[in-house]
Formats: sequence, structure tokens, C-alpha cells
Amino acid sequence: MKGAWWRIGWRNLGRNRRRTLITAIGLALGYLAVVVMAGLSRGLVSEMIDNGTGMVTGQLQVFAEDYLPDRGIYETIGGREGVDVESLVARVASDPNVSAATPRVYAGGLVSTGRATAAGVILGVDPEREALVSRLLSHIDEGRAPTPGQYEIIIGREMARQLDVGPGDEVVVVAPGADGSLGNDLFIVAGIFTTTITELDLGHAVAPIEVVQELVALAPGRIHEIAARVDDPWAADAAAAAVAAEVEGRPEPVAVRSWTEFRPEMVEYARLVSSMEWMLIVFIFGMAIWGVANTMLMSSYERRREFAVLLALGGGPRLIVRSVLAEALVLGAVALLAGLAVTLPILAWWKAAPPDMSWVYGGFTMAGGLMRPILRVEWPTSMIFITAGAMFVTALAAALYPAYRSSRVPPADTLAGR
Amino acid sequence: MRVPIVPAALAAALMFLPIPAEAQTAACAGLSDATEIVDCVDRIMRGESSRGIATMEVSTENWSRAMEMQMWSLGTDHALVRILSPRKDAGTATLKAGNEIWNYLPRVDRTIKIPASLMSASWMGSHFTNDDLVKESRLIEDYEITLAYEGDRDGVDVWEFDLIPRPEAPVVWGRIAYQVRKKDTMPVYAGYYDEDGVLVRTMTFFDYRDLGGRLVPAAMRVVPEDKPGEYTEVRYSELEFDVDLDEEYFSLRRLRDTR
Repeated sequence: MKGAWWRIGWRNLGRNRRRTLITAIGLALGYLAVVVMAGLSRGLVSEMIDNGTGMVTGQLQVFAEDYLPDRGIYETIGGREGVDVESLVARVASDPNVSAATPRVYAGGLVSTGRATAAGVILGVDPEREALVSRLLSHIDEGRAPTPGQYEIIIGREMARQLDVGPGDEVVVVAPGADGSLGNDLFIVAGIFTTTITELDLGHAVAPIEVVQELVALAPGRIHEIAARVDDPWAADAAAAAVAAEVEGRPEPVAVRSWTEFRPEMVEYARLVSSMEWMLIVFIFGMAIWGVANTMLMSSYERRREFAVLLALGGGPRLIVRSVLAEALVLGAVALLAGLAVTLPILAWWKAAPPDMSWVYGGFTMAGGLMRPILRVEWPTSMIFITAGAMFVTALAAALYPAYRSSRVPPADTLAGR
Repeated sequence: MRVPIVPAALAAALMFLPIPAEAQTAACAGLSDATEIVDCVDRIMRGESSRGIATMEVSTENWSRAMEMQMWSLGTDHALVRILSPRKDAGTATLKAGNEIWNYLPRVDRTIKIPASLMSASWMGSHFTNDDLVKESRLIEDYEITLAYEGDRDGVDVWEFDLIPRPEAPVVWGRIAYQVRKKDTMPVYAGYYDEDGVLVRTMTFFDYRDLGGRLVPAAMRVVPEDKPGEYTEVRYSELEFDVDLDEEYFSLRRLRDTR
């Protein structure tokens, strides 16, 4: 018997196909708008997180407990004794959420040509593994990455401009050693990177880790940080907890933190964006509801003789309400199928080939990350379902008043044509 | 992160190189005006020209080391310091000429200029800034000086002066408390306060001796208030005054001259 309601609803929609089609298209477009906008805003958030954490910091960091906030050169993992770097890096990388991990050394120093001198952070990295964790090395737009073991360095574009040097030029790097000595050595500029993030382009230089350790008198086992890449940024917290448990009980006390801890403003921004998804639903379906209500009023008005007959036969008002609501739900289902049929291919295409917007705006930095001029989307999986639910709620809510009116049709007057 | 410039030793050595002027201890003794006394004592620490050898001991939480260095100075504008030992740093030299500071690094045989933007930067774990070196001016030019206390301090009869920077003075301190003992107008203590009135570092003078024919404090110790247990101590073993030096002596060529 239950199936009969759906059949009646379906057939009623067929009474005026054009009207049904127009209403369903309206709802489907509403669905498309909400889901695509949600996909876009999630794409924006992902782009921001990717760039904010992917340029240098990584999504997860491991360092000595006392390293922050001062980042003292002495505060290496494992203290003065250092640590078995390879085994610790391997442990961090063994977490299923972590796709790559790399050791780092930080030193504060000077890069000088003699006449011109710039101050900055000298970052010691393993160029091969670093490329799997951060994107800094991929921003080299002149020259190449430093060769492991060689006294080669890459510097930011702005620092290069101030020093007036290019690839192949020689610079002096001066940095205080962990033993109190003044480390200094000649380096060849291997490449220049341009991130458009001033802090990096002006104040950072990158050299092979073993060379930086030598410069600042740190033994090979002494590193300041292990940075790791977590492909799904929202899995970083779980990964941090797992890595912390993994290294718990090791002789050297370490701290593990994820990007949500050192970039809390990005978490807040993501929350703001997701709260806006709900507002989007309210606005768009808040508008759609009037269109659907209009359709349902029209359709139930046309059926008032049918309702009068039903009432005259003793069918009762609930029967009629059920009939109208069933029609609305079937309309919602039709609209959802249409919406999915339009939305999913568009999203899939959009994600595969995000449109280049550089003709509208250039790359810019936001929350310390470089935003590429592309309209990136992410699959708003939860919103695909939530929006579907919202559409049924809209259809139902729009049908409530027409259903109520239909159930109050006066049988005798209506049948008499009065 | 701290930005390193030159070894703390160089900075301290340049800053505290005692150079007597014409005004000598005896002359200071007769003065009674606060400004005159401070100026007179200040001149003991500065003056025309000098040459000397000193050891500098820097002790921090993470390392401590001693360096021996040789230095030359002319007025307050010119100075040259060259490290003699330990071997790792030997030959490293710093030249101050006017407002410019240059470093020579023998290991790479290069001379580098320290940029103006780094003048207020802190040195490698040291208790000094570039300003200590460059803004080396006469105290009476930059500070209003008043006598704050006169009498016994730890068994020594002293004057205690309050030095408040003049409104336009290019100095980093909010106040300096300066103690001079009456007996021979030798400096005893200096306390450096920031603009909020918080004591940042203290300097004590001791080992008063004849060096190069003048009575000078042959040793001084700087202690940063925010890093308990750390200090920098400079001790002079040789000092010569009014030596024959002119401005040409303080050249980049001389800076590189490792002999």
C-alpha cells in the first residue's frame, strides 16, 4: 500500500510536466550552487593550508622539548649527545598518515659578499628528502638545489637582489657556532628561490644539512627538527598523537606538534568557512522554498476536486496531506537526481582541471602561504549528503501549507463548483 | 633567533678599551660638579690613542671560552681588534671606522661589512649589541648627569651618579647608574636600565693597576640580568697610551693584515 503514495505522487508530477521540470531544475540548480560553492570554499581552505604549511614548515614537526620558543642553536634533539637521526626520521615516517619526513638544522647568520651583507636564517636540509616534505626547493626559479655535501647555498630572491649575486657567485656565510666560535665559510650560490613571501625571500638561505652542521659546530647527530608531510592536513593531529606515542619512552624527550598547533589561525579560518556552508544552504534553499511552494499550491489547487471526492468518500484530511507531501518528496527526489547528474561531473571536471584565474588576479600571499591564481575545488563529501537532505526538507516544508489547505477543501461546495 | 656579528670578545674589547686622556686621576680628584666628575672619569676610559693586549672570557649557559686579542684605538671613532688565540679564531679581526664595522675572516680570507640594520642586533650568545660598539660617545654628550648618592657602598666611599639620556640622544638605555669611588675617581660599577626602568645588565670594574703608566681598572665584568650565571670578563695584560697612530692606520688593508 505504501508504494501507492509514491506512485500517486509521481503520476501527479506528470500532470504538468513542464511545471515539474522547471521546479526540479530550480531545486537542482540550488543543489549545484550549494555543493559547488562548498567545494570552492573547501578548495580555498585546502589551498591555504597546503601553502601555509607546505612551503616550509610541513604539517607535522618533531623537535627537542626546549627548542621553542627561542629556537636556540643548542637545543638539538637528544641534547648535546644528539640522536640517531636516521632511525628517528624513519620512526616518524613510519606513521601511515605521514608520507615523508626530513631532518633539519636551523642557524642564524649572515650571508655576505663583502660589501653587502644580509642577515637571515640558514636552514640546513637534506635536499632530496626536503623536496618530499616542503615546496621551498621547487620555487627555485634560477639555478638549482644545493648538492648534498657541497658548500652550496640557495637564497631568496630579495636577498639575492640586496647582495647583487646570482648562481655561481661566491658568498661568505657567517654563523655563531654551538661551541662559541664564529663559524664562517665560503659558499657558492647554487640557486635563487622566489616564493613572494617576504620573510622567506629576504631572510632565508638553504644549504645541505651536513655543511650547516659543520659551519655551526654541530655533530652529525645533532638536528633541531624533523619536519613531516601529512597529505590529508586534517589527519595531522592524529598523526602527531601517533608519532608522539611512537617516540615516547625514547631516551631523548621530544615534542611533536601538528600545523593546527603552530598555525591556529588557519584552523579558525577553516571553521569560519565551514560555518558559512550552512549559511549558504539557508540562503539558497530559503529562496528555493518559495518557488516550490508556489508549484505545490498550483498543483494542489488543480486537484481540489479529487480531494473533495476523497473527503466525501470519508478519506479524511490526513490522507490528503500524505498525498501532497508524497508528491513533494518525489519532486525532491527528481530534483536530487537532476542535481547530482549536473553537479558531480562539473565538480569532477573542476577538480581535475582547476581554471587558471591569472587573467583576473595574480598569486598572492594569505596567512603566510602563497595562493596560486587558480580556482581549486575539493570534494565537499559531507555537503553532498547534507545538501541532499536540505533539499528534501525544503520540498517538504514548501508542501506543508499547500497540504494543509488541500485537507481543508469543503467537499460539497467544491464538487458543486461553487 | 639571534643574529651573530662578531665574537662578543671583540665588541667588549672595543667598548671598554681604557684610554686615558690629558685629564688624569689627580685632576679628577679636585672636581665637585657631577657632570665634570663623570666626564673626567669617562675620559680615563677613552681618549687619544692606545694599543693593548687583553684576554676575554665569555661564559654562557652552553659554552665558555677565553680569547686573547690585540687592539689599537684612536679617539672614539677608530678601533681595530685582532684575535690572537685560540687557533680556530686567530686572525679574525674587527675594524671600526666611524659608523662602519668591518670583519675580517681569515679562514675564508674575506672582509665583510656589517650592515646598519644589524646595529641593534645581539651578538652570538653575547651580552652586547653593535650599538655598544658604534654609539661609543662621550657620556656627557648623551646624558643628563646628577649626583644621586654620596657615601659608603660596600665599605667604599663613592659617588653614585644617575645618567638620564637627553631627549634626542641616540642611546638604547633608559638610565645608567654609575658608581665612582672617591679615593682615586676610578669607576666601580655601572648598572644599565631599559626604558621601563628594568635593570638589563651590570658592569663591575676591578683590579685597579698601573698599566702604561696610568691607573686603570685592568678588569671588568659584564653580567646580563636575564641570564643568571652568564658573564663576559675582559682583562688587560698590556696597555700603552698615546701611541703613534693616525686615521690611515685603520684601513681595510690593515684589517686583513694578519701579522
